[in-house]
Amino acid sequence: MKPIISADVDLLKRRDLKNGYFSLTFGPFARAKQCRPGQFVHIGFKQSSVFYRRAFSIANTNADDKSLEIILKVVGRGSKQMADLRIGDSVNFLGPLGKPFTLPNKKQTPILVAGGVGYPPLFYWANHLIARGWDPKRIVFLYGGQSSPDIVDRARIKRMGVKFIPVTDDGSFGERGRVTSPLVRALAENTYESPMIYSCGPEAMLKAVDQIGTEFETPGELAMEAPMPCGFGICLGCIVPLRAGGTARVCQEGPTFSIGTVKL
Amino acid sequence: MSKANNKPDMLAQKHMITKSKKPKSKTPKTKPDLSVEIAGYRFKNPIWTASGTCGYGEELDTIFDLNRLGGIVTKSITRQPRPGHPTPRCAEESSGMLNAIGLANVGVEKYVAEKLRFLDEYDIGVVVNVAGFGFDEYVEVCAMLADCPRADMIELNISCPNVSTGGIEFGASASDVERIVKAVKKVFPRPIIPKLSPNVTNIAGIAKGAEAGGADAISLINTLIGMSVDIYTRRPGLTNNRGGLSGPAIKPIALSMVNRVYDVVDVPVIGIGGASSAEDVIQFMLCGASAVQLGTALFIQPDLPITVERDLKKYLTSQGLTSITEIIGKIEKY
Repeated sequence: MKPIISADVDLLKRRDLKNGYFSLTFGPFARAKQCRPGQFVHIGFKQSSVFYRRAFSIANTNADDKSLEIILKVVGRGSKQMADLRIGDSVNFLGPLGKPFTLPNKKQTPILVAGGVGYPPLFYWANHLIARGWDPKRIVFLYGGQSSPDIVDRARIKRMGVKFIPVTDDGSFGERGRVTSPLVRALAENTYESPMIYSCGPEAMLKAVDQIGTEFETPGELAMEAPMPCGFGICLGCIVPLRAGGTARVCQEGPTFSIGTVKL
Repeated sequence: MSKANNKPDMLAQKHMITKSKKPKSKTPKTKPDLSVEIAGYRFKNPIWTASGTCGYGEELDTIFDLNRLGGIVTKSITRQPRPGHPTPRCAEESSGMLNAIGLANVGVEKYVAEKLRFLDEYDIGVVVNVAGFGFDEYVEVCAMLADCPRADMIELNISCPNVSTGGIEFGASASDVERIVKAVKKVFPRPIIPKLSPNVTNIAGIAKGAEAGGADAISLINTLIGMSVDIYTRRPGLTNNRGGLSGPAIKPIALSMVNRVYDVVDVPVIGIGGASSAEDVIQFMLCGASAVQLGTALFIQPDLPITVERDLKKYLTSQGLTSITEIIGKIEKY
């Protein structure tokens, strides 16, 4: 008999990060220890205004108390459903699902490029790398948003001790411009030894990062998002076209893809 | 615990004031029997997974042991591999979903060489769903499956557009259905199950056509044609513009059509359409289904077959029944 990987969990903690962002911590989740950055959980609701499950990337886990954190921005019915949950409410987790980020080698400098709602898996990734012995000062964390309130959870990022470079469109926090500008600069000026890009964010941003990575021949991985009816490979609803021809399922072959793989 | 060991406990209890309890019957009640027979094949239970909602089996097997199923109907295969339509090819609805995957599949050759083998070690009925865009394609694919003993049965997806008749679905014409079933029966030695489209005016007539062609069972319904619209982009929810509606929204239509067809044919009927619980499965069976395929519900609750199996047994016990076959077609209509 194989393990059934869906499990009911309760909402343990709910933090309003303002500007439509929420941090929700669920547990106890027996498989919290098996989760890896880049992976997601597919969440089913008991009483629901939505029909499908909803996929959310994992923002953190705690193996000790078996909890799992999700950070989301309310953008549609599914995220609204999540944000409306109250402490003690129960949801169903299917997961962890998907292919996680792959570890850089010790010589490489991880450059994390987060855009808006793409922040959670990269926050998890930075934490994970530090826990595995990476010097936080050698982790570059670029985080872009439209305006200051879009850069959420700053205190926690600062606490990690990573090289934090916030960027906003209007310059209200950090550098003014696009998050890709400091990336291009760093790559053009060879600021970091053997850079390895990890990125998650809006598709237009991922497309730009993909182009930059390709242009500078810098390896990297992009964590993609797609509406997913099933989340584990059977419905074929979340496919993306590949440069080499054919398609890949974001939920199975992804959500992390090497730069240059997906036709964006 | 053996009988002898029980004795001292029972003697001790004799002197205690306790609620009088009937001693547990030593002979266990007959286990509820979920097995069903369809076209000469015995399935361990009436729970099948529907084509297009369980891939070729591998992914679902990571969720639960496929051996728990009565049968699996694998994703539609065609003569050549197909990439399917571009995304979005699924759209969520309030009580179901639209899809226009576009028959994405690996093609029959790769299916036979790689995918079907995966199911070799499983003790379940394997029903291979076959689609085509012309009579010849159906016949060719079914003939290629004839030598694959693991393909226990074929389910014919006749909801595809027939390119030679200007794209009208094969399943929309009773004579086309009869002709196609007759043709594939000649090349495939095991049972053929045409899967009927609900997008027709007279489902009973189509079912009779299928039976006249020699169908060994009939499954229904496929999805209903539907459309969704985004009012801001003014775009349909699917790149194909239209797609097939599935999920709980279509269950009442499916029940009605299953019952209609059950009343007019002699071959077994297999129910499909929005079943999401044991209660739904029982409803289909009361309406005449000998087995029921779980489809879209697997996306929401992938281990659903396990709970359905458990709840079917509970239902039989609660109703004092010993076999699930006792409920097939037993709806008491007004």
